[in-house]
Amino acid sequence: MIFSEVYGVYFQTVAEILACASKGPVTEKKIREIVEREAFAESVLTIPAALKDGRWPFLDKEGRSRLKQEPGMPLTTLEKRWLKALLQDVRIGLFEPSCEGLEDVEPLFTPDMFVYFDRYADGDPYGDWQYVEHFRMVRTAIKEGRRLRIRYRMRKGKECRVICVPCKLEYSAKDDKFRLLGLVGGHGTTINMARVLECRFLPECEKGAKLPACEKRKVELLLTDERNALERAMLHFSHFEKVTERLDEKHYHFLLRYDKEDETEVLIRILSFGPRLKVIAPEEFVGEIRARLERQKKLWAL
Amino acid sequence: MAYSELIKNFESIRDYMREFYVYGFRRRGEVGVRSARSYDNERRRIESWLGEYMSFTQSASGRAQFLSVDSRDILHNPFFQAFRAKSFTDKDIILHFYLLDLLGEETWLTFREVVDGLYESYFDKLDHPPALDESTIRNKLKEYVALGLLEQKKEGKSICYRKAKSGVDLSSWEEAVTFFSEENPLGVIGSFLLARKKSGNAADNMAADDAKDLETAYFRFRHHYMLYALDSQVLYDLLDAMSGKCAVEVAVAGRRRQPVRKYALYPVKIFISTQTGREYLLAYEYEQRRLSFFRLDHIKSVKKGHAEKNWESYEQRFEKFGKHLWGVSAGQERRSEHLEMTIAVCAGEEYIVQRLNRERRNGRVERVDEGTYRYVTDMRDATEMLPWIRTFIGRIVKLECSNPAVIETYENDMKEMGELYDL
Repeated sequence: MIFSEVYGVYFQTVAEILACASKGPVTEKKIREIVEREAFAESVLTIPAALKDGRWPFLDKEGRSRLKQEPGMPLTTLEKRWLKALLQDVRIGLFEPSCEGLEDVEPLFTPDMFVYFDRYADGDPYGDWQYVEHFRMVRTAIKEGRRLRIRYRMRKGKECRVICVPCKLEYSAKDDKFRLLGLVGGHGTTINMARVLECRFLPECEKGAKLPACEKRKVELLLTDERNALERAMLHFSHFEKVTERLDEKHYHFLLRYDKEDETEVLIRILSFGPRLKVIAPEEFVGEIRARLERQKKLWAL
Repeated sequence: MAYSELIKNFESIRDYMREFYVYGFRRRGEVGVRSARSYDNERRRIESWLGEYMSFTQSASGRAQFLSVDSRDILHNPFFQAFRAKSFTDKDIILHFYLLDLLGEETWLTFREVVDGLYESYFDKLDHPPALDESTIRNKLKEYVALGLLEQKKEGKSICYRKAKSGVDLSSWEEAVTFFSEENPLGVIGSFLLARKKSGNAADNMAADDAKDLETAYFRFRHHYMLYALDSQVLYDLLDAMSGKCAVEVAVAGRRRQPVRKYALYPVKIFISTQTGREYLLAYEYEQRRLSFFRLDHIKSVKKGHAEKNWESYEQRFEKFGKHLWGVSAGQERRSEHLEMTIAVCAGEEYIVQRLNRERRNGRVERVDEGTYRYVTDMRDATEMLPWIRTFIGRIVKLECSNPAVIETYENDMKEMGELYDL
């Protein structure tokens, strides 16, 4: 059972309070602090009171824990079975976890139970030792704030060498790819991990490097709810920040915010909805759609 | 009954969270069929769990609550929080902490020793000891053995208990769990592991709090759909049945508030869309004797049934069935539809050919001449391909299909789009 109180925020928060109280008396203020940090917004109305009035009799009058040791919960069978299942994932080699303790555990699922039917076919080569080595080096560089000299193949096949401060590894489930986001000469850059040919640590460190903020853009759309377009569009664009307003029974105003670098992708995804989604602003975006439709008209006049 | 931010039943909150996230424009009276008070309570709960992601719009017709996040800006799926809001009784929490404190990993205690230990070591020292009868303690022990938190063995007529050994070096799993908690269909379980703090024996050095995580985390997720998390219990029940090659009875909500209908099925595969986050069950329908798809977010409950002797024949049937699927439309099982799309590719636009090859799912891509490529395929239901075909608008030289409805729809859509944009 996934929905169980043993995984709940309340049990975890009380465990945290008792861990603190096992070292010495905890004050009401400290309890509130822990609850505010660990639990839900309104938990402060319930957890401290239940501990104070003895409904949950875990603290003595001074605020010391009545337990003999710090609270600790072993892994549940569910958690172990999930970990065991991960060992069969092709991407697990990137992380090197220890299999110890999972020898007699049945995996919760196997990869062949799932079909990712619309995932792109050119995912990263997770079984390639060189790829794995580069991935681990980038990961180490990010954690330790180290700089890397990277040689990689660009989109059109040309090779490029850069000195890069890696900041993040971005994964896309649709592309099944990792991309390295980092700084080259102080500017944000993106390198597909599968295109990295060579990677070397440089002696210098650059801790605390941050990616420049992505330029955000917005597009306003008019949605006509036919052929279940409303639900499809809401789900399709649900990973973007969005605001939807109903205009009448059939029409909706839809505002989408996206990163500038995703513009072409957003455009073709809007096109995939055909006449159910009409771009109404900004004008440049409308112009881009119009240009594609005009090109299409020339290729195949209906 | 007094309001509580915790819930006993996940099902009703599942609908509300989907409502706020997917639609977000509906006002109080329009969400679900329940009372206004029920709406207020559920909204308050969701705000309590996910306050930072909740927003609202105000208009003359009222206030609409919605959940909106840019998945790139967050590290943890916020919907996982709902799974951590299960209600419990005072007895549950008292027994949880005292039993796990009393029982060690080495020494076995009989049931009698457990009861005596609880009273002598803890309850007798309290001013107001909890009123716990032996059956409550026995049931809790049984429940914790089933969860894997305790181990039991029989010694003569007595059953003995001890705390289970974790035996797993979780610190070596930290990065894998951080990644897979977002990228695995049952990632919610990873979120439980991440939530374990340093105070828990089992989870030393797991991830710290969210704000720090976001700053220091080295993963970021793109095209990250999160709503699937709400269907985790349904998915878990299906995978459990699939592991045991068992049949299931699923209760499926009908469209447009039609009553829930039950189906007797053998679950074959879970289909997942990386482009919408939707999950589907592909299953053999005993009554109709065919393979059918069911959306997981429409499934209300799953009941595990008998072990299926013929499981191999149903799974083999999928091998043939799956070859001509584009998405999740089964179409006519014994017929496929032929489709050819020719597109223009100018010099320097090799990435378009790469796109065709990357996104085609099946079929083949042929070079027609220097500036033209053709995609040829046979599908169960070619109408499902139309959204993808439209992404090539501006390049489509020719579109042919054995199903005339596909061409007709495409042509009508193009005409409508021309009108929409005044062309």
